[in-house]
Amino acid sequence: MIGYTPGSTIVHRLDPRGKLAVQLAFAIAAFAHTTPRGLAALTILALAIARLASVSVVRAILSVRVLAPFLIAAPLVAAIRLSPPAIDPSAAFQPALASYRVLLVFVVAAAYVHTTAVRESRAAIQRTIPSRPGVLLGVGVSLVFRFLPVLRRELTTVRAASAARLGTERPLVDRIRRLVVVGVNRSFTRADRLSAALSARCFAWNPTLPQLSFTRLDIPVFATAIGLLAAAVFV
Amino acid sequence: MATNTESVDLVGDETVANIARAALFAALMGAFAYVSFPNPLAAGVPITLQVLGVFLAGIMLGPVWGAIAMVLYLVAGAIGAPVFSGGAAGIGHLIASPTLGFLWSYPIAAAAVGLVVHRGVGLTEYKSASTPTLVGAMVLGTAIIYALGTVGFAAIQYDPWYASLGQAFVVSSLPFIPVEAVKIAAAVGIVKSDAIAAA
Amino acid sequence: MISVDNLTHAFGETVVLDSISLSIDDDEFVVLTGPNGSGKTTLVRHFNGLHTPTAGDVRVNGAPVESDLVAARTAVGMVFQRPEDSFVAATIAADVAFGPENLGLSHDEIDRRVETALAAVNLSGRGDERIDTLSGGEQARVAIAGALAMEPDQLVLDEPFSGLDEPARRSLLSHLDSLSADGTGIIVVTHDLRGVLERCDRVLALSAGSIVLDAPPAMARQQLPSLDVYVPLTADSDREHSRDSHESAGR
Repeated sequence: MIGYTPGSTIVHRLDPRGKLAVQLAFAIAAFAHTTPRGLAALTILALAIARLASVSVVRAILSVRVLAPFLIAAPLVAAIRLSPPAIDPSAAFQPALASYRVLLVFVVAAAYVHTTAVRESRAAIQRTIPSRPGVLLGVGVSLVFRFLPVLRRELTTVRAASAARLGTERPLVDRIRRLVVVGVNRSFTRADRLSAALSARCFAWNPTLPQLSFTRLDIPVFATAIGLLAAAVFV
Repeated sequence: MATNTESVDLVGDETVANIARAALFAALMGAFAYVSFPNPLAAGVPITLQVLGVFLAGIMLGPVWGAIAMVLYLVAGAIGAPVFSGGAAGIGHLIASPTLGFLWSYPIAAAAVGLVVHRGVGLTEYKSASTPTLVGAMVLGTAIIYALGTVGFAAIQYDPWYASLGQAFVVSSLPFIPVEAVKIAAAVGIVKSDAIAAA
Repeated sequence: MISVDNLTHAFGETVVLDSISLSIDDDEFVVLTGPNGSGKTTLVRHFNGLHTPTAGDVRVNGAPVESDLVAARTAVGMVFQRPEDSFVAATIAADVAFGPENLGLSHDEIDRRVETALAAVNLSGRGDERIDTLSGGEQARVAIAGALAMEPDQLVLDEPFSGLDEPARRSLLSHLDSLSADGTGIIVVTHDLRGVLERCDRVLALSAGSIVLDAPPAMARQQLPSLDVYVPLTADSDREHSRDSHESAGR
């Protein structure tokens, strides 16, 4: 699984805003040039980024393996001709390139996830989106990271307990209902306690914004983003 | 104390409570990504709870905060929280994945479900909503999710996208739609039972 | 300094606090005890403006709490029951910084406060660790650090020992000792007096929304058993003993 891993690669030290810009520009370039040549060039760039961030390309791709049925089925279905019934492999070519393009973007996105702490992403959000929406998103996202492992553990425990009491024999709707009721109730109970704690610590609309500053290292990052955009538009 | 207390613009108590609930709901959506049930209709297509989470966000948090909860879920996933299907993360899911239409539809569908159930942008007592209203709201939500999901799939996988909507629908949506009835039934059961503590 | 004057709090028809008056100075170490449902948590939440009085008033440093919530919330720090639900960030330092950030302090000042607060609870240098990997005792200390970073005059801890094992409990008590020695007022809400009775200056007992005891610990030790307040007193043996007699009386 891909997740933030503290480290000292050059990509870890970059400003998160520049890294976000590269991801967006990379995707735009990949959509503009979904050709063998275009994707070959972008493959080299994606591998270079993964290398600099020291993120495993294999793991990045495996982390989205649940998408595999879609990425494989899309070109296969395109090759089917209904009248007369036949297989037209050439029709699968473009959708196959599209599937490959998805993987490239995921590799670049994995480099961001691997090298960027929540605190930095939150800083990027609050420094990019002004005022109340920025605070709401920044604090809200931080809370999601905090409570995700707590709720995951809780759901796992509930399922194990229910299986132990032969809950697996119950009808499907009933099992879903029971699990979700517990999940929602626990979430709301926690939310009530959390909101008291937020208020007690003076949760404010105008906090000190998290620190973030560009360095000279970020110049090539933005240059890459601009180059990718230019390639998408002019080439 | 050096703090100038007058300059601190406190978030009001009601808004704090709504933010906490939206964030916890977004985290719950993420936790749902790890849960799947075997599908009695199609063995290869496991049942996940994400769509049920979208329905309940609209019903329980209302159109505004339900949609905000979904936005928090998407943004958290984009910057690295492992909340997407199978515990995946990254902005690729929102800008390049063939399933991006489904993800972008969540805030819209939650808002739509909330608007129907609460008959407006305000928050009403959802437990008093009639079963036909609840079912109608969720059918509308399902339609939005799969319509945007299909268009998104076609846009990512096929060129030109509008010529391949049928293929996109067959691959991305058709296998999943039948079990939505199960989720709608479960959601009605959840809302109508007294098992959920007062909102 | 907290002063409560004729405070009444009702949830609908139910009166939880019934015209309570008291004041607590900044240099006191106070224990607030009483059975479950006696109104302890509701009372301390008023110190911080988390509830609005049904009648009467609550002042912090002379000013009514609702007239300046920020002043009250910075003067009185709160550490809640079940600290795991009071964290706002996934890592320690990011969580402790939340309060100071809301006060609009400079980055240097925020960093200084986070370091000082972590040092006070023996977590220096662990700011980047994930909170969900910590033990219950460590999480309790992070929650205290989060409150200390507001630099409060008084610190309220609501049932801080529940769920802690004996070493974590003792470690928490020794941290409370040193905070108290450094001049922070301590108000511990607990129904379990083991280890706190010998440390505190004053014991307040609530029962059914009224204060039934306000006394120094030596006197409290004598009077608590005669009041209708069942609380475990000091050592474990005492607790076992009183529970036994409780049960045999019931047979």
